[in-house]
Amino acid sequence: MELTFTEGERRFRAEVREYLLSNISENIRQSVYEERPLPREWQVESQQILNRAGYAVPHWPVEWGGRDWSAVKRTILVQEIDQNSVPRPLPFNAALVGPVVAAFGTEEQKRRFLAPVANLDMWFCQGFSEPNAGSDLASLKTSAVREGAHYQVNGQKIWTTAAHKADWIFCLVRTAQCERKQQGISFLLIDLATPGITIRPIPTIDGFHHVNEVYFDDVRVPAENLVGEEGRGWDYAKYLLGQERTSLGNIGFSQRRLDRVRALAKARRGEAGPLIDDPDFRRRLSWAEIELKALEITQMRVVASAGNPAGGADPKTSILKIKGSEILQDAAELLLDTLGPEALTAGFADSLASDDSQGLDAHSSVLSAYFTSRKYSIFGGSNEIQRNILAKAVLGLGSKR
Amino acid sequence: MNFDLSEEQRMLADAVGKLFEAQAEDANVDSHKLWNGYLELGLLGLPFAEEQGGFGGGQEEIMLVMEAYGRTLGTAPYLQSVLMAGRLLALVDGGTASDALSGLLDGSQKYALCLFEPDTRYRWHEPGTKAERSDAGWTLSGEKRAVLNAETDTHLICPATTPEGFGLFLIPPGASGLSLRERPTPDGRIAADIVLDGVEIAEAAAIGDPANNGALVAKIVDGAILACCSEAIGAMEKLLALTVEYLGTRNQFGAPIGSFQVLQHRAADMLIALEQTRSMTIHAISMMDAPPTQRHVAVAAAKALTNRASRFVGSQAIQLHGGMGLASEYPAGRYFQRLTVLENMFGDSNHHLTEMEKGGGLAAAL
Repeated sequence: MELTFTEGERRFRAEVREYLLSNISENIRQSVYEERPLPREWQVESQQILNRAGYAVPHWPVEWGGRDWSAVKRTILVQEIDQNSVPRPLPFNAALVGPVVAAFGTEEQKRRFLAPVANLDMWFCQGFSEPNAGSDLASLKTSAVREGAHYQVNGQKIWTTAAHKADWIFCLVRTAQCERKQQGISFLLIDLATPGITIRPIPTIDGFHHVNEVYFDDVRVPAENLVGEEGRGWDYAKYLLGQERTSLGNIGFSQRRLDRVRALAKARRGEAGPLIDDPDFRRRLSWAEIELKALEITQMRVVASAGNPAGGADPKTSILKIKGSEILQDAAELLLDTLGPEALTAGFADSLASDDSQGLDAHSSVLSAYFTSRKYSIFGGSNEIQRNILAKAVLGLGSKR
Repeated sequence: MNFDLSEEQRMLADAVGKLFEAQAEDANVDSHKLWNGYLELGLLGLPFAEEQGGFGGGQEEIMLVMEAYGRTLGTAPYLQSVLMAGRLLALVDGGTASDALSGLLDGSQKYALCLFEPDTRYRWHEPGTKAERSDAGWTLSGEKRAVLNAETDTHLICPATTPEGFGLFLIPPGASGLSLRERPTPDGRIAADIVLDGVEIAEAAAIGDPANNGALVAKIVDGAILACCSEAIGAMEKLLALTVEYLGTRNQFGAPIGSFQVLQHRAADMLIALEQTRSMTIHAISMMDAPPTQRHVAVAAAKALTNRASRFVGSQAIQLHGGMGLASEYPAGRYFQRLTVLENMFGDSNHHLTEMEKGGGLAAAL
């Protein structure tokens, strides 16, 4: 056992922090700290700075820009990125489409996509969910019919984050009707400039515009954009689940929120004296601190372990997902409660506003952050699905029959 | 970072697990035989430096031993005698303490540290028990409460306030003026309320330095708290396994009740609570050599979380077992009883959260 960070790991953390603080502009970091929407060009600028240092896609194969760092080091990296209010590398690029193309794509696809995806010269969004395929993703219906050198795509995707900012979308589409619904699904890359694609915003309760509906109406996609084999898309999606696990706990993000809670609560009055000394408030903060520190170690235990010998996902990652989202939500509640009446009148994000920060100032982002935090226990497999996984895959509890 | 056991640690965990399981299944075991098993395996010397006659084990090795102890609901006075009294004797050092430690290491004597007193809850720092100088040495008067494993043949280490500060006194069994009222605890052990009515002891029975004893006891208590956390982790692990087994075998409405999602999710939440507790305890173990305030904050945080998890896992295990959970002859209830005792020991969550906040909180300490 080596329960503390090694000298090398500590040095790595210091190097990362130094690089982030001296290269990412104060404007960008302030905006992330206050949880305002980030203009597209800031996200791109930030990812390119990360990419120069190998920080954008360190988990990729070395020949495509990966760094062969240990999982512990990569976890330190993502925690430093989050804790220092640096935008994360776009997850759709770095954590999702990149690894799939690197593992299953043709040499031609790798050459065409991987470098621009790592550098955010090409922005991808994710087309998985559909109106009737959420937690039950394999029920998806968007169809792709092969016609010569093209696929003809028809259907609808939903909850597509940043589709309005993206250049491309990677989709799970149905290429065959099979007995098992997990079969007959394929993984397709689609240029959003192709005729027949309509993107409609879905305003959300946080006042932001970040998710969309994406409609496909007789969209012609070159067959060369199929990744891997036709009909194996479900396997590739499952492969992703076993991939980068270093950021699942959202440790640095929660830490940053709790730091903000602490800073605000010290400066503000509570029912009697400073809010930070209010016993009930303080106790809630203490529990959040404890759960977060414990989760930081849980995160390290998951990534540092040799892993599941079968090569799939470690079912314990579900703990990271559940606890990580709950702590983020607790922190958002604390953040909201620090402001009292000012939370309501500072303004609220306007999803139709044309400016990049959607009309937000530092205070009102607290209210939006509160609402937006509900999503963390829903996307990527809701917390109820995660509990099913724990019960079945870890505890071995069966279904009826 | 690396959380895998070393080869030596794996061997220790195996050997301890086998011993404790055999002892738990032995219907004829008595306290002497029990302790002898610990002696023969080298557990009595485990946490002591080699030059003090020990094997140089650290808090990680203690974690392995106490997890096994919790899994098997051990009853031997290992925490009291070795991890508290013994480690305190080793820290204090000096003639009398060294002799006492030798008696502990060869298995001939058992020790108990008497920390708590009436109406002061978990604050042991300023003992109401007084020690005054007498012709022969010292006279002790006061009361101690709920001293785990203190029996009539146990040597006691009593903190007492002296004119010089925080005194520590060794009291032999049967000293005149000493009375013990032994009570069974719900988890099959013994705890005693103790009255010291003008107990006369020799000058040499005062050990340590009154100016420094409090700091040493604080360190011992922090280590003991982590040992309790590890014990609770072992107990929760076994209790969760028992519960999952029950869910898989108990049939109602034509199906194993473990196929019902609401029960599956409860079990998943128990697993999460257990794993978070394990992580927090690992963190606190890694902080044992940090400066005292940081060490104590991490330990207090670990105990607060362990307490909350113990109550949740314990009570929900009973709930999922239905009526069987309430039957004494079925093991689930015994684990719940042990977890409840551990939750009480060294302080409830409220106490430890207060300690953590007094120390500036986890964020400030790290």
